[in-house]
Amino acid sequence: MSDDLICVGSIGGAFGVKGDVRLKSFCAQPSDIADYSPLVTEDGRSFTLTLLGPVKNGYSARFSGVVTKEDADALSGEKLFARREQLPALPDDEYYHTDLEGLEVVDTGGVTLGHVKNVQNHGAGDLLEVHGPKLKTAVLLPFTLEAVPTVDLKAGRIITDPPHGLFE
Amino acid sequence: MSRSVWKGPFVDAYVLKKAEASRESGRNEVIKIWSRRSTILPQFVGLTFGVYNGHKHITVNVTEDMIGQKFGEYSPTRTYYGHAADKKAKRK
Repeated sequence: MSDDLICVGSIGGAFGVKGDVRLKSFCAQPSDIADYSPLVTEDGRSFTLTLLGPVKNGYSARFSGVVTKEDADALSGEKLFARREQLPALPDDEYYHTDLEGLEVVDTGGVTLGHVKNVQNHGAGDLLEVHGPKLKTAVLLPFTLEAVPTVDLKAGRIITDPPHGLFE
Repeated sequence: MSRSVWKGPFVDAYVLKKAEASRESGRNEVIKIWSRRSTILPQFVGLTFGVYNGHKHITVNVTEDMIGQKFGEYSPTRTYYGHAADKKAKRK
């Protein structure tokens, strides 16, 4: 699977008997999944997507080339991917989680502390979950200008000035 | 049933003591606390707490709109990893 593909949803199964599918969106705004059409599956098939309406836990949707219930059933469980370049550009200091994941975390002295595994938000601001060989458990680094003064996506690293005691 | 007003907000004494010590020292540090039941007070704004969730300390940067809530509300006890998809993080 290519690195520039981002999983934006999955197909739950057939919806009705006319080839419509039940679609689950992983997007921040669920209906945005239609903006990333055409979407590709893990095996490389490409589909143009039309949202028909909301159903429980997702949307009913129509895929190009899927016209029978049997076709729709065959797609059950497939994950749907969008290309990274399909995501709209963001203003300064705003980043896609998918861009932050995997970045190297370096302190102001140049020492590598670990890598970002995940981005979390429990209501008190965004947190970078940092895993490293010298860390006993994952460290949650606040994603603030103070704690993370530099994000260098091209170099694949962030420079951090963490609060005292966070990486101990 | 809500808490009687005359009692004032509940805060574990050690949390107040630690917060005060941290503010006086002026250092940017994580104040580790285990008291999830303590109320977030106005004097905690700007401080960084590590709130225990039974497993590890979750970093909580206290802001004004969190006043009156409990620390535990910002430190979930169950792990959920969703899909990143097009979710965004803003550096503040």
